[in-house]
Amino acid sequence: MEVISQNIVYFIIAIAIMVALFIWAYSANRMQKDFSTMTWVLIPVAIAINGVIGYIVGQLKLPVFLDSIGTVLVGALCGPWAGALTGALSNFVIGILTNPTDWWPWIPVAFFIGLVAGLCANAGLFKSWWKVVVTGFLIALTAATVSTPIAVYFFGGITSSGSSFITAYLLQTGQGIIQAVFSTNFLVEPVDKISTAMLAFAIVQGLSKRFLARFPRAENVETEGGASQTQLFIAIGVVILLILFAIFVLSRITGG
Amino acid sequence: MQAIWPLLSFIIQFTMHDRLSFYYFRDSLLHRLNPLTKLALVFGLILVSFISPFYWTPHLLILAGIIPLAFVGKVTREYLNATFRIILPATGFLFIMQSLFQPFEGRELFRVWFLHPTVESTLFAFRNAARVFAMASSFTIFLLTTHPRELMTDLTRRGLPPQIAYVIISTLQILPQMQAKAQTIMAAQRSRGLDTQSSFLRRAGSLVPLVRPLVFGSLVEVEERAIAIEARGFTSTHTKTFLHEIPDTSVDKTIRWFLAALVIIALALRIWLS
Repeated sequence: MEVISQNIVYFIIAIAIMVALFIWAYSANRMQKDFSTMTWVLIPVAIAINGVIGYIVGQLKLPVFLDSIGTVLVGALCGPWAGALTGALSNFVIGILTNPTDWWPWIPVAFFIGLVAGLCANAGLFKSWWKVVVTGFLIALTAATVSTPIAVYFFGGITSSGSSFITAYLLQTGQGIIQAVFSTNFLVEPVDKISTAMLAFAIVQGLSKRFLARFPRAENVETEGGASQTQLFIAIGVVILLILFAIFVLSRITGG
Repeated sequence: MQAIWPLLSFIIQFTMHDRLSFYYFRDSLLHRLNPLTKLALVFGLILVSFISPFYWTPHLLILAGIIPLAFVGKVTREYLNATFRIILPATGFLFIMQSLFQPFEGRELFRVWFLHPTVESTLFAFRNAARVFAMASSFTIFLLTTHPRELMTDLTRRGLPPQIAYVIISTLQILPQMQAKAQTIMAAQRSRGLDTQSSFLRRAGSLVPLVRPLVFGSLVEVEERAIAIEARGFTSTHTKTFLHEIPDTSVDKTIRWFLAALVIIALALRIWLS
Protein backbone atom coordinates (compact mmCIF):
# COMPACT_ATOMS: atom_id res chain seq x y z
CA MET A 1 0.00 0.00 0.00
CA GLU A 2 2.74 2.43 0.89
CA VAL A 3 4.59 2.56 -2.41
CA ILE A 4 3.94 6.28 -2.50
CA SER A 5 4.84 6.94 1.13
CA GLN A 6 8.07 8.78 0.54
CA ASN A 7 7.49 10.09 -2.98
CA ILE A 8 7.84 13.78 -2.33
CA VAL A 9 10.69 13.22 0.12
CA TYR A 10 12.72 11.48 -2.61
CA PHE A 11 11.91 14.27 -5.01
CA ILE A 12 13.07 16.92 -2.54
CA ILE A 13 16.27 14.96 -1.92
CA ALA A 14 16.89 14.81 -5.68
CA ILE A 15 16.37 18.57 -6.03
CA ALA A 16 18.63 19.18 -3.01
CA ILE A 17 21.39 17.06 -4.60
CA MET A 18 21.05 19.03 -7.83
CA VAL A 19 21.28 22.36 -6.02
CA ALA A 20 24.23 21.13 -3.93
CA LEU A 21 26.06 19.96 -7.08
CA PHE A 22 25.46 23.33 -8.65
CA ILE A 23 26.67 25.29 -5.61
CA TRP A 24 29.73 23.06 -5.35
CA ALA A 25 30.59 23.61 -9.01
CA TYR A 26 30.02 27.34 -8.62
CA SER A 27 32.12 27.73 -5.49
CA ALA A 28 34.90 25.56 -6.90
CA ASN A 29 35.07 27.93 -9.89
CA ARG A 30 34.30 25.11 -12.25
CA MET A 31 31.78 26.96 -14.31
CA GLN A 32 32.45 30.70 -14.40
CA LYS A 33 34.28 30.26 -17.68
CA ASP A 34 31.25 28.55 -19.20
CA PHE A 35 28.76 31.29 -18.36
CA SER A 36 29.67 34.12 -20.71
CA THR A 37 27.08 36.57 -22.01
CA MET A 38 26.75 34.41 -25.14
CA THR A 39 25.76 31.48 -22.92
CA TRP A 40 23.13 33.48 -21.05
CA VAL A 41 21.64 34.67 -24.34
CA LEU A 42 21.77 31.22 -25.95
CA ILE A 43 19.88 29.58 -23.07
CA PRO A 44 16.47 31.26 -23.70
CA VAL A 45 16.75 30.51 -27.43
CA ALA A 46 17.64 26.89 -26.64
CA ILE A 47 14.62 26.58 -24.35
CA ALA A 48 12.42 28.02 -27.08
CA ILE A 49 13.91 25.48 -29.53
CA ASN A 50 13.05 22.70 -27.06
CA GLY A 51 9.48 23.87 -26.79
CA VAL A 52 8.81 24.64 -30.43
CA ILE A 53 10.40 21.50 -31.87
CA GLY A 54 8.47 19.47 -29.30
CA TYR A 55 5.36 21.22 -30.58
CA ILE A 56 6.15 20.58 -34.28
CA VAL A 57 6.88 16.92 -33.54
CA GLY A 58 3.54 16.70 -31.78
CA GLN A 59 1.81 18.26 -34.79
CA LEU A 60 3.48 15.74 -37.13
CA LYS A 61 2.38 12.95 -34.76
CA LEU A 62 5.82 11.31 -34.64
CA PRO A 63 6.28 8.72 -31.88
CA VAL A 64 9.14 10.63 -30.14
CA PHE A 65 9.34 13.71 -27.91
CA LEU A 66 12.50 15.47 -29.20
CA ASP A 67 12.00 18.13 -26.54
CA SER A 68 15.63 18.44 -25.44
CA ILE A 69 17.48 19.37 -28.63
CA GLY A 70 18.26 22.84 -27.28
CA THR A 71 19.46 21.38 -23.98
CA VAL A 72 21.92 19.06 -25.74
CA LEU A 73 23.04 21.95 -27.95
CA VAL A 74 23.87 24.17 -24.94
CA GLY A 75 25.53 21.23 -23.19
CA ALA A 76 27.84 20.73 -26.16
CA LEU A 77 28.56 24.41 -26.89
CA CYS A 78 28.77 25.83 -23.36
CA GLY A 79 29.67 22.96 -21.05
CA PRO A 80 27.83 20.56 -18.72
CA TRP A 81 26.64 23.06 -16.11
CA ALA A 82 25.12 25.40 -18.66
CA GLY A 83 23.41 22.37 -20.21
CA ALA A 84 22.07 21.25 -16.85
CA LEU A 85 20.74 24.72 -16.09
CA THR A 86 19.10 24.90 -19.52
CA GLY A 87 17.37 21.57 -18.96
CA ALA A 88 16.01 22.49 -15.54
CA LEU A 89 14.85 25.97 -16.57
CA SER A 90 13.42 24.57 -19.80
CA ASN A 91 11.04 22.26 -17.99
CA PHE A 92 10.23 25.03 -15.51
CA VAL A 93 9.36 27.64 -18.14
CA ILE A 94 7.54 25.34 -20.57
CA GLY A 95 5.53 24.19 -17.54
CA ILE A 96 4.56 27.79 -16.83
CA LEU A 97 3.45 28.30 -20.43
CA THR A 98 1.57 25.06 -21.00
CA ASN A 99 0.82 22.70 -18.16
CA PRO A 100 2.93 22.40 -14.98
CA THR A 101 1.97 18.81 -14.12
CA ASP A 102 3.44 17.42 -17.33
CA TRP A 103 6.73 19.30 -16.97
CA TRP A 104 7.71 20.25 -13.42
CA PRO A 105 8.10 16.73 -11.96
CA TRP A 106 10.62 15.93 -14.73
CA ILE A 107 12.97 18.82 -13.96
CA PRO A 108 15.71 16.48 -12.57
CA VAL A 109 15.60 14.38 -15.76
CA ALA A 110 16.16 17.43 -17.95
CA PHE A 111 18.93 18.57 -15.60
CA PHE A 112 20.83 15.31 -16.04
CA ILE A 113 20.24 15.22 -19.80
CA GLY A 114 22.03 18.56 -20.12
CA LEU A 115 24.76 17.55 -17.69
CA VAL A 116 25.55 14.27 -19.44
CA ALA A 117 25.44 15.91 -22.87
CA GLY A 118 28.01 18.44 -21.67
CA LEU A 119 30.24 15.82 -20.05
CA CYS A 120 30.18 13.69 -23.23
CA ALA A 121 31.06 16.74 -25.33
CA ASN A 122 33.93 17.53 -22.95
CA ALA A 123 35.17 13.97 -23.41
CA GLY A 124 35.25 14.55 -27.16
CA LEU A 125 32.10 12.58 -27.96
CA PHE A 126 30.47 15.32 -30.03
CA LYS A 127 32.78 15.41 -33.01
CA SER A 128 31.50 12.88 -35.52
CA TRP A 129 28.27 11.06 -36.28
CA TRP A 130 29.04 7.75 -34.63
CA LYS A 131 30.36 9.44 -31.50
CA VAL A 132 27.16 11.45 -31.33
CA VAL A 133 25.20 8.19 -31.38
CA VAL A 134 27.24 7.09 -28.34
CA THR A 135 26.44 10.40 -26.65
CA GLY A 136 22.75 9.92 -27.38
CA PHE A 137 22.84 6.43 -25.95
CA LEU A 138 24.54 7.60 -22.74
CA ILE A 139 21.98 10.41 -22.39
CA ALA A 140 19.19 7.86 -22.86
CA LEU A 141 20.65 5.61 -20.15
CA THR A 142 20.80 8.53 -17.72
CA ALA A 143 17.31 9.73 -18.59
CA ALA A 144 15.85 6.25 -18.12
CA THR A 145 17.59 5.86 -14.75
CA VAL A 146 16.59 9.26 -13.41
CA SER A 147 13.00 9.23 -14.62
CA THR A 148 12.25 5.77 -13.16
CA PRO A 149 12.08 6.83 -9.48
CA ILE A 150 10.10 9.95 -10.39
CA ALA A 151 7.53 7.95 -12.33
CA VAL A 152 7.33 5.34 -9.57
CA TYR A 153 7.19 7.57 -6.51
CA PHE A 154 5.24 10.47 -7.98
CA PHE A 155 2.70 8.80 -10.21
CA GLY A 156 2.72 5.25 -8.88
CA GLY A 157 4.51 4.08 -12.05
CA ILE A 158 1.80 4.96 -14.51
CA THR A 159 2.03 8.48 -15.90
CA SER A 160 -0.12 10.23 -18.46
CA SER A 161 2.22 9.47 -21.39
CA GLY A 162 1.36 6.88 -24.00
CA SER A 163 4.21 4.51 -23.13
CA SER A 164 2.44 3.77 -19.82
CA PHE A 165 0.49 1.05 -21.61
CA ILE A 166 3.72 -0.97 -21.86
CA THR A 167 4.31 -0.42 -18.13
CA ALA A 168 0.76 -1.52 -17.37
CA TYR A 169 1.27 -4.65 -19.46
CA LEU A 170 4.55 -5.49 -17.72
CA LEU A 171 2.85 -5.02 -14.33
CA GLN A 172 0.17 -7.49 -15.41
CA THR A 173 2.82 -10.07 -16.24
CA GLY A 174 3.89 -9.94 -12.62
CA GLN A 175 7.01 -7.77 -12.79
CA GLY A 176 7.86 -5.44 -9.94
CA ILE A 177 6.87 -1.85 -10.45
CA ILE A 178 10.43 -0.48 -10.63
CA GLN A 179 11.53 -3.12 -13.14
CA ALA A 180 8.41 -2.51 -15.24
CA VAL A 181 8.94 1.27 -15.38
CA PHE A 182 12.66 0.91 -16.03
CA SER A 183 12.25 -1.54 -18.89
CA THR A 184 9.63 0.70 -20.47
CA ASN A 185 11.94 3.71 -20.24
CA PHE A 186 14.79 1.65 -21.57
CA LEU A 187 12.75 0.70 -24.63
CA VAL A 188 11.50 4.21 -25.33
CA GLU A 189 14.43 6.49 -24.46
CA PRO A 190 17.32 5.40 -26.76
CA VAL A 191 15.47 6.13 -30.01
CA ASP A 192 14.33 9.51 -28.75
CA LYS A 193 17.63 10.64 -27.25
CA ILE A 194 19.84 9.41 -30.10
CA SER A 195 17.74 11.29 -32.63
CA THR A 196 17.87 14.31 -30.32
CA ALA A 197 21.67 14.19 -30.18
CA MET A 198 21.92 13.71 -33.95
CA LEU A 199 19.63 16.66 -34.66
CA ALA A 200 21.64 18.84 -32.27
CA PHE A 201 24.81 17.78 -34.09
CA ALA A 202 23.18 18.58 -37.44
CA ILE A 203 22.39 22.08 -36.15
CA VAL A 204 26.01 22.56 -35.03
CA GLN A 205 27.17 21.42 -38.48
CA GLY A 206 25.01 24.06 -40.10
CA LEU A 207 26.44 26.97 -38.09
CA SER A 208 29.45 28.93 -39.26
CA LYS A 209 32.85 28.49 -37.55
CA ARG A 210 33.03 32.19 -36.79
CA PHE A 211 29.69 32.04 -34.92
CA LEU A 212 30.60 28.86 -33.00
CA ALA A 213 33.94 30.31 -31.90
CA ARG A 214 32.12 32.86 -29.72
CA PHE A 215 30.84 30.12 -27.39
CA PRO A 216 32.95 29.05 -24.39
CA ARG A 217 33.41 25.41 -25.44
CA ALA A 218 33.68 25.77 -29.20
CA GLU A 219 36.57 23.27 -29.24
CA ASN A 220 34.15 20.52 -28.16
CA VAL A 221 32.29 20.56 -31.45
CA GLU A 222 35.18 20.92 -33.88
CA THR A 223 34.40 18.19 -36.35
CA GLU A 224 37.00 15.66 -37.28
CA GLY A 225 37.69 15.57 -41.00
CA GLY A 226 36.88 12.58 -43.14
CA ALA A 227 33.90 10.90 -44.69
CA SER A 228 31.12 12.47 -42.65
CA GLN A 229 28.53 11.46 -45.24
CA THR A 230 29.23 7.74 -44.82
CA GLN A 231 29.31 8.17 -41.07
CA LEU A 232 25.88 9.78 -41.17
CA PHE A 233 24.52 6.73 -42.98
CA ILE A 234 26.17 4.39 -40.49
CA ALA A 235 24.65 6.38 -37.61
CA ILE A 236 21.19 6.28 -39.18
CA GLY A 237 21.68 2.54 -39.66
CA VAL A 238 22.46 2.15 -35.95
CA VAL A 239 19.29 4.03 -35.03
CA ILE A 240 17.19 1.84 -37.35
CA LEU A 241 18.77 -1.27 -35.80
CA LEU A 242 17.88 0.06 -32.33
CA ILE A 243 14.28 0.67 -33.40
CA LEU A 244 14.09 -2.87 -34.82
CA PHE A 245 15.57 -4.19 -31.57
CA ALA A 246 12.96 -2.31 -29.53
CA ILE A 247 10.16 -3.68 -31.72
CA PHE A 248 11.62 -7.18 -31.39
CA VAL A 249 11.77 -6.95 -27.59
CA LEU A 250 8.27 -5.50 -27.50
CA SER A 251 6.87 -8.32 -29.60
CA ARG A 252 8.65 -10.84 -27.36
CA ILE A 253 7.05 -9.22 -24.31
CA THR A 254 3.57 -9.14 -25.79
CA GLY A 255 3.97 -12.60 -27.29
CA GLY A 256 5.23 -14.35 -24.20
CA MET B 1 -12.24 21.56 -47.33
CA GLN B 2 -10.49 18.90 -45.30
CA ALA B 3 -7.29 20.90 -45.14
CA ILE B 4 -9.03 23.75 -43.35
CA TRP B 5 -9.50 21.87 -40.08
CA PRO B 6 -5.88 21.50 -39.02
CA LEU B 7 -5.34 25.11 -40.00
CA LEU B 8 -8.25 26.19 -37.83
CA SER B 9 -6.94 24.20 -34.90
CA PHE B 10 -3.59 25.95 -35.37
CA ILE B 11 -5.25 29.33 -35.21
CA ILE B 12 -7.17 28.38 -32.08
CA GLN B 13 -4.07 27.00 -30.41
CA PHE B 14 -2.06 29.98 -31.50
CA THR B 15 -4.44 32.48 -29.97
CA MET B 16 -4.39 30.47 -26.76
CA HIS B 17 -0.61 30.33 -26.55
CA ASP B 18 -0.11 33.85 -27.79
CA ARG B 19 -0.47 35.29 -24.28
CA LEU B 20 2.60 35.61 -22.14
CA SER B 21 1.34 33.12 -19.56
CA PHE B 22 -1.73 31.93 -17.71
CA TYR B 23 -1.91 35.23 -15.82
CA TYR B 24 -5.18 37.19 -15.49
CA PHE B 25 -5.18 40.58 -13.87
CA ARG B 26 -7.88 40.93 -11.20
CA ASP B 27 -8.07 43.03 -8.07
CA SER B 28 -8.22 40.37 -5.37
CA LEU B 29 -6.73 39.39 -2.04
CA LEU B 30 -4.72 36.63 -3.69
CA HIS B 31 -3.34 38.95 -6.35
CA ARG B 32 -2.17 41.39 -3.69
CA LEU B 33 -0.19 38.78 -1.73
CA ASN B 34 3.57 38.70 -2.12
CA PRO B 35 4.59 36.22 -4.87
CA LEU B 36 6.80 34.32 -2.43
CA THR B 37 3.83 33.86 -0.08
CA LYS B 38 1.82 32.39 -2.93
CA LEU B 39 4.70 30.10 -3.83
CA ALA B 40 4.86 29.01 -0.18
CA LEU B 41 1.11 28.41 -0.29
CA VAL B 42 1.49 26.16 -3.34
CA PHE B 43 4.31 24.10 -1.90
CA GLY B 44 2.64 23.98 1.53
CA LEU B 45 -0.54 22.53 0.03
CA ILE B 46 1.40 20.01 -2.06
CA LEU B 47 3.66 18.90 0.80
CA VAL B 48 0.77 18.49 3.23
CA SER B 49 -1.33 16.52 0.74
CA PHE B 50 1.61 14.21 -0.02
CA ILE B 51 2.99 13.84 3.52
CA SER B 52 -0.14 13.67 5.69
CA PRO B 53 -0.82 10.14 7.00
CA PHE B 54 -4.62 10.45 6.80
CA TYR B 55 -6.38 9.03 3.78
CA TRP B 56 -8.78 11.92 3.11
CA THR B 57 -6.31 14.83 3.47
CA PRO B 58 -5.81 15.56 -0.26
CA HIS B 59 -9.55 15.36 -0.95
CA LEU B 60 -10.28 17.70 1.96
CA LEU B 61 -7.57 20.12 0.86
CA ILE B 62 -9.06 20.30 -2.64
CA LEU B 63 -12.58 20.99 -1.35
CA ALA B 64 -11.72 23.24 1.59
CA GLY B 65 -8.47 24.83 0.44
CA ILE B 66 -7.92 24.96 -3.29
CA ILE B 67 -11.39 25.64 -4.67
CA PRO B 68 -12.05 28.45 -2.12
CA LEU B 69 -8.64 29.89 -3.07
CA ALA B 70 -9.82 30.13 -6.68
CA PHE B 71 -12.88 32.01 -5.37
CA VAL B 72 -10.75 34.38 -3.31
CA GLY B 73 -8.50 35.04 -6.31
CA LYS B 74 -11.55 35.73 -8.53
CA VAL B 75 -10.29 33.24 -11.12
CA THR B 76 -12.92 30.52 -10.60
CA ARG B 77 -14.03 30.49 -14.22
CA GLU B 78 -10.49 30.22 -15.61
CA TYR B 79 -9.56 27.64 -12.98
CA LEU B 80 -12.58 25.44 -13.75
CA ASN B 81 -11.83 25.80 -17.44
CA ALA B 82 -8.28 24.52 -16.90
CA THR B 83 -9.59 21.79 -14.60
CA PHE B 84 -11.98 20.38 -17.15
CA ARG B 85 -9.65 20.78 -20.11
CA ILE B 86 -6.35 19.57 -18.64
CA ILE B 87 -6.40 18.43 -15.02
CA LEU B 88 -9.48 16.19 -14.90
CA PRO B 89 -8.62 14.20 -18.07
CA ALA B 90 -5.05 13.65 -16.83
CA THR B 91 -5.99 12.61 -13.29
CA GLY B 92 -8.92 10.56 -14.60
CA PHE B 93 -6.56 8.60 -16.84
CA LEU B 94 -4.18 8.16 -13.90
CA PHE B 95 -7.04 6.90 -11.69
CA ILE B 96 -8.35 4.38 -14.23
CA MET B 97 -4.91 3.03 -15.15
CA GLN B 98 -3.80 2.69 -11.53
CA SER B 99 -6.98 1.13 -10.22
CA LEU B 100 -6.80 -1.43 -13.03
CA PHE B 101 -3.11 -2.20 -12.99
CA GLN B 102 -1.68 -1.66 -9.51
CA PRO B 103 -0.77 -5.17 -8.32
CA PHE B 104 -2.52 -5.21 -4.94
CA GLU B 105 -3.94 -8.38 -3.47
CA GLY B 106 -7.43 -8.05 -1.99
CA ARG B 107 -11.14 -8.27 -2.62
CA GLU B 108 -11.98 -7.96 -6.31
CA LEU B 109 -14.48 -5.31 -7.32
CA PHE B 110 -15.39 -6.95 -10.63
CA ARG B 111 -13.71 -8.97 -13.33
CA VAL B 112 -13.93 -8.22 -17.03
CA TRP B 113 -11.65 -10.15 -19.39
CA PHE B 114 -8.24 -9.82 -17.72
CA LEU B 115 -9.07 -6.63 -15.78
CA HIS B 116 -9.74 -7.13 -12.11
CA PRO B 117 -9.43 -4.00 -9.94
CA THR B 118 -9.33 -4.71 -6.22
CA VAL B 119 -10.73 -2.54 -3.45
CA GLU B 120 -7.18 -1.73 -2.34
CA SER B 121 -5.95 -0.67 -5.76
CA THR B 122 -9.01 1.52 -6.32
CA LEU B 123 -8.59 3.25 -2.95
CA PHE B 124 -4.88 3.71 -3.67
CA ALA B 125 -5.59 5.13 -7.12
CA PHE B 126 -8.25 7.47 -5.73
CA ARG B 127 -5.86 9.01 -3.22
CA ASN B 128 -3.04 9.20 -5.74
CA ALA B 129 -5.27 10.93 -8.28
CA ALA B 130 -6.41 13.38 -5.60
CA ARG B 131 -2.81 14.20 -4.74
CA VAL B 132 -1.89 14.85 -8.36
CA PHE B 133 -5.10 16.86 -8.75
CA ALA B 134 -4.19 18.99 -5.73
CA MET B 135 -0.67 19.53 -7.11
CA ALA B 136 -1.88 20.54 -10.57
CA SER B 137 -4.65 22.78 -9.19
CA SER B 138 -2.44 24.71 -6.83
CA PHE B 139 0.13 25.31 -9.59
CA THR B 140 -2.65 26.47 -11.90
CA ILE B 141 -4.10 28.93 -9.36
CA PHE B 142 -0.61 30.23 -8.63
CA LEU B 143 0.06 30.88 -12.31
CA LEU B 144 -3.40 32.41 -12.82
CA THR B 145 -2.83 34.99 -10.08
CA THR B 146 0.91 35.73 -10.31
CA HIS B 147 2.60 37.57 -13.13
CA PRO B 148 5.97 35.90 -13.94
CA ARG B 149 7.69 39.28 -13.96
CA GLU B 150 6.46 40.02 -10.43
CA LEU B 151 7.70 36.67 -9.18
CA MET B 152 11.11 37.14 -10.79
CA THR B 153 11.52 40.71 -9.50
CA ASP B 154 10.67 39.59 -6.00
CA LEU B 155 12.99 36.58 -6.12
CA THR B 156 15.83 38.70 -7.54
CA ARG B 157 15.38 41.12 -4.65
CA ARG B 158 15.73 38.13 -2.31
CA GLY B 159 18.98 36.98 -3.89
CA LEU B 160 18.15 35.01 -7.06
CA PRO B 161 20.90 35.70 -9.64
CA PRO B 162 19.56 38.29 -12.11
CA GLN B 163 20.85 36.16 -15.01
CA ILE B 164 18.37 33.39 -14.09
CA ALA B 165 15.56 35.94 -13.98
CA TYR B 166 16.68 37.20 -17.40
CA VAL B 167 16.59 33.67 -18.84
CA ILE B 168 13.07 32.98 -17.56
CA ILE B 169 11.54 36.32 -18.56
CA SER B 170 13.13 36.40 -22.01
CA THR B 171 12.13 32.78 -22.68
CA LEU B 172 8.54 33.71 -21.88
CA GLN B 173 8.82 36.35 -24.60
CA ILE B 174 10.78 34.33 -27.18
CA LEU B 175 8.71 31.13 -27.01
CA PRO B 176 5.40 32.59 -28.25
CA GLN B 177 7.28 34.50 -30.96
CA MET B 178 8.99 31.33 -32.12
CA GLN B 179 5.76 29.40 -32.02
CA ALA B 180 4.16 32.00 -34.28
CA LYS B 181 7.17 31.71 -36.59
CA ALA B 182 6.81 27.91 -36.59
CA GLN B 183 3.21 28.22 -37.66
CA THR B 184 4.12 30.61 -40.46
CA ILE B 185 6.82 28.22 -41.69
CA MET B 186 4.47 25.24 -41.48
CA ALA B 187 1.78 27.05 -43.44
CA ALA B 188 4.31 28.25 -46.02
CA GLN B 189 5.84 24.81 -46.55
CA ARG B 190 2.38 23.24 -46.74
CA SER B 191 1.28 25.66 -49.41
CA ARG B 192 4.36 24.56 -51.37
CA GLY B 193 3.13 20.99 -51.09
CA LEU B 194 5.00 19.67 -48.05
CA ASP B 195 3.39 16.48 -46.84
CA THR B 196 2.57 16.59 -43.11
CA GLN B 197 -0.23 14.04 -42.85
CA SER B 198 0.61 10.84 -44.71
CA SER B 199 2.95 7.95 -43.89
CA PHE B 200 5.43 7.89 -41.02
CA LEU B 201 8.56 8.22 -43.18
CA ARG B 202 7.08 11.16 -45.12
CA ARG B 203 6.21 12.94 -41.87
CA ALA B 204 9.66 12.27 -40.40
CA GLY B 205 11.19 13.58 -43.61
CA SER B 206 9.19 16.79 -43.47
CA LEU B 207 10.69 17.59 -40.07
CA VAL B 208 13.89 18.94 -41.64
CA PRO B 209 12.42 21.67 -43.91
CA LEU B 210 10.25 22.79 -41.00
CA VAL B 211 12.91 22.89 -38.32
CA ARG B 212 15.86 24.22 -40.28
CA PRO B 213 14.69 27.80 -41.09
CA LEU B 214 13.28 28.16 -37.59
CA VAL B 215 16.38 27.09 -35.68
CA PHE B 216 18.98 28.87 -37.77
CA GLY B 217 16.86 32.01 -37.94
CA SER B 218 16.66 32.23 -34.17
CA LEU B 219 20.30 31.29 -33.54
CA VAL B 220 21.50 34.10 -35.78
CA GLU B 221 19.85 36.63 -33.46
CA VAL B 222 21.83 35.36 -30.47
CA GLU B 223 25.02 37.25 -31.21
CA GLU B 224 23.30 40.60 -31.75
CA ARG B 225 21.33 40.20 -28.55
CA ALA B 226 24.49 39.36 -26.60
CA ILE B 227 26.15 42.58 -27.78
CA ALA B 228 23.01 44.57 -27.00
CA ILE B 229 22.63 43.42 -23.39
CA GLU B 230 26.38 43.62 -22.84
CA ALA B 231 26.14 47.29 -23.77
CA ARG B 232 23.43 47.71 -21.10
CA GLY B 233 25.60 46.44 -18.26
CA PHE B 234 24.34 42.84 -18.09
CA THR B 235 27.54 41.51 -16.50
CA SER B 236 28.08 44.56 -14.30
CA THR B 237 28.61 43.58 -10.67
CA HIS B 238 27.24 46.80 -9.16
CA THR B 239 24.01 46.50 -7.17
CA LYS B 240 21.02 47.26 -9.35
CA THR B 241 17.87 49.15 -8.41
CA PHE B 242 14.32 48.00 -9.15
CA LEU B 243 11.70 49.70 -11.25
CA HIS B 244 8.75 48.04 -9.50
CA GLU B 245 8.44 47.74 -5.74
CA ILE B 246 6.65 44.58 -4.62
CA PRO B 247 5.05 44.87 -1.17
CA ASP B 248 5.82 42.28 1.52
CA THR B 249 3.49 42.88 4.46
CA SER B 250 3.37 41.31 7.93
CA VAL B 251 0.31 39.32 6.79
CA ASP B 252 2.54 37.65 4.19
CA LYS B 253 5.11 36.70 6.81
CA THR B 254 2.42 35.31 9.14
CA ILE B 255 0.97 33.18 6.34
CA ARG B 256 4.42 31.81 5.48
CA TRP B 257 5.18 30.84 9.09
CA PHE B 258 1.73 29.28 9.42
CA LEU B 259 2.34 27.15 6.30
CA ALA B 260 5.77 26.07 7.55
CA ALA B 261 4.15 25.03 10.85
CA LEU B 262 1.48 23.04 8.98
CA VAL B 263 4.10 21.13 6.99
CA ILE B 264 6.08 20.36 10.14
CA ILE B 265 2.92 19.13 11.90
CA ALA B 266 2.09 16.88 8.94
CA LEU B 267 5.62 15.48 8.95
CA ALA B 268 5.51 14.91 12.73
CA LEU B 269 2.14 13.15 12.48
CA ARG B 270 3.48 10.94 9.71
CA ILE B 271 6.53 9.89 11.74
CA TRP B 272 4.56 9.55 14.97
CA LEU B 273 1.75 7.44 13.48
CA SER B 274 3.93 5.05 11.50
